[in-house]
Amino acid sequence: MNRLRRLLTASIALAAVAVATPAFAEDSKGKIYYLVPTLLDEFQTESVSAITRFMDDVGYEVVTLNADNKTDMQQSQMNDTILQKPSAIILAAVDFNALAPSIEKARAAGIPVMIFDRQITSTPSDLTSVAGTIEIGQVAAGEIQRLLKEKNGAVKGKVLQVLGDPSDPYTLDIQKGFEDKMKEFPDVRIISLPAMQWEASNAGTIVSDQMVANPDIDLIFLHAAHLSVAAVAALEAKGKKPGDVMMISSNGAPVGLDLIRKGWLNVEVEQPLYAQAAALAMFADKVVNKQEIKPGNYNVLGLDSVMTIENWGPNIKIPGAAITKENVDEPRFWGNLKAPADKIQPVE
Amino acid sequence: MTSPRQRAIAEFILDHLVWFMLAVVLIAFSIFVPNFFQIGIFANIVEQSTFVGVMAIGLAIVIIAGHMDLSVESTAALAAMITGILFCSRGIGMGLTLTPEWLVIPVSLIISLAVGGLIGCLNGVFTIRLRMNAFIVTLASYIWVRGLVVAVSGGRSAQDLAPSLRIVGIQQLLYVPLIAWIAILCFIVFSFIMQRTPFGRHITLIGGNAVAAFRAGIKVDRLMFISFILAGAIAGLAGWLLAIRTSGATANLGTGMLFNAFAAVVIGGVSLKGGVGKLPGVYAGVLLLSSIHTAINLMGLPAHYTQVILGLLVLAAVLLDTLKLQIRQRFA
Repeated sequence: MNRLRRLLTASIALAAVAVATPAFAEDSKGKIYYLVPTLLDEFQTESVSAITRFMDDVGYEVVTLNADNKTDMQQSQMNDTILQKPSAIILAAVDFNALAPSIEKARAAGIPVMIFDRQITSTPSDLTSVAGTIEIGQVAAGEIQRLLKEKNGAVKGKVLQVLGDPSDPYTLDIQKGFEDKMKEFPDVRIISLPAMQWEASNAGTIVSDQMVANPDIDLIFLHAAHLSVAAVAALEAKGKKPGDVMMISSNGAPVGLDLIRKGWLNVEVEQPLYAQAAALAMFADKVVNKQEIKPGNYNVLGLDSVMTIENWGPNIKIPGAAITKENVDEPRFWGNLKAPADKIQPVE
Repeated sequence: MTSPRQRAIAEFILDHLVWFMLAVVLIAFSIFVPNFFQIGIFANIVEQSTFVGVMAIGLAIVIIAGHMDLSVESTAALAAMITGILFCSRGIGMGLTLTPEWLVIPVSLIISLAVGGLIGCLNGVFTIRLRMNAFIVTLASYIWVRGLVVAVSGGRSAQDLAPSLRIVGIQQLLYVPLIAWIAILCFIVFSFIMQRTPFGRHITLIGGNAVAAFRAGIKVDRLMFISFILAGAIAGLAGWLLAIRTSGATANLGTGMLFNAFAAVVIGGVSLKGGVGKLPGVYAGVLLLSSIHTAINLMGLPAHYTQVILGLLVLAAVLLDTLKLQIRQRFA
């Protein structure tokens, strides 16, 4: 009898939720699905909060699906999402190219697709908001050239590059941008090794081995801030102090900023997460209503960003910054986890 | 016909085959891989064997007992994350301090062992008490425990472990960090337990033939249950060491270690059918894998080669196991 009563109460509660939902939905302009590649790194985790917040500012409800870094899972999620007929899909692809057919399928079903952070150029989409992974590598190369020159009097020396998982196009793009820029300096020897599965202790192992085999390494460039934590621990275990070996990493996560403050990291190349997410929200109405997006310069959270119309659609590129000891505390860096308080305004 | 002396030599070689393989590989790398032959590299190999090695001890015990535990990697990650959250001062770390400072070492260790032991206990309840399949139960644990790591951390990381705890990762004894000595000590202690105590001998008997062991009066269920708790607690220890090595924890810490631990166990001569295997062989298997990883790092080969070599090694180990059985039958 008690069980029956509990079942009845639960059913009533469920029905109440079901009745209440449309009332909530009336306030919202619609649902946007955000397909995040993984929740195992801080950039992606914070991107969920930022996109949810900023889209809420402009009237959209965000549902997030995590692909656990699996391409096939993200493809399935795309298929499922298309059937839900959302107002739009935001995609941060696990694999840049493998998701192209899914994007085409969504657009064919009349669902606009916005690309976040991981640029897809092989098929058209409705808006791309990126800092540019190749550009991150290029910015890192510029900083590395500066640091080597300051240390050795010329751009020469030995650099250990610790990549992420070698099957991830994200890390391969950074590598490409970096190595292309470094080609003109033949006196720089680059040793490149991947930290399998982006796992921190693998990066620690690489640094540990290389500091024994190549003790004259001038600089270590790591493709994610969380890898630099393990690298620092390995250096510490070898008796190194902050500044003994120069270090750079990318993505601008809180851990990287902390390491700059402690003197271990010289530079962190930031992916401007908040601005990238804000740009999506600024143009969300235009994307959802299939209105024209005009090329030109836009101010996104104080950053001068350029909207261009590319073969793959409107593309807004937001400049990534080099974070150093001098500017590390500025709130504009997402690694300080101080999301802008002002509401995002849609572009008219 | 073979003489007893020839038979004894053959048995010795077969029992310690993995050590011979390790010796051959180390000599070959020392000759052919630039910068390999130096004390620092050998110390690195021993240090890098720590986490997979410790994890492999618990895994080997469960496998010798005739079961399976796929949850050790996620259990280690959870223990590392909890250590990080409690005793790291940055990121999501709460920066818990104790007086005197050295108390952090035993307290964090006990918490890690307890976390691991609890997961092992749950595995034991489902597998032994509820008679569910160990493979499925621990596969489920592998998934939900990793999910718990992400949930408690929110995908964020903890850094800057308490200095009194970091000492364990930095201090060296004979060029080898303390964490590696802890792993070596674990292997010595558990090798002794498995070979010289009734518990170890009974576990091996159960793995060989659980029905016969039961009829001989051995408390099969109780010992099996203990082996799951042990595997969990030892995985907790591996997580504690991992947090110390990386001075904190990230949500994906330890990813991929389960397969390395499995490879080490198989290469080390533990039979997946249960009842056969010795922990020193497992340690040799871990050292062998670490040597290969290090050599590939030094040669600058793409990391995919590690996986190819690892896969081939596991295959070779299983083949050798079959061959060993045939050779033993010939000498019998």
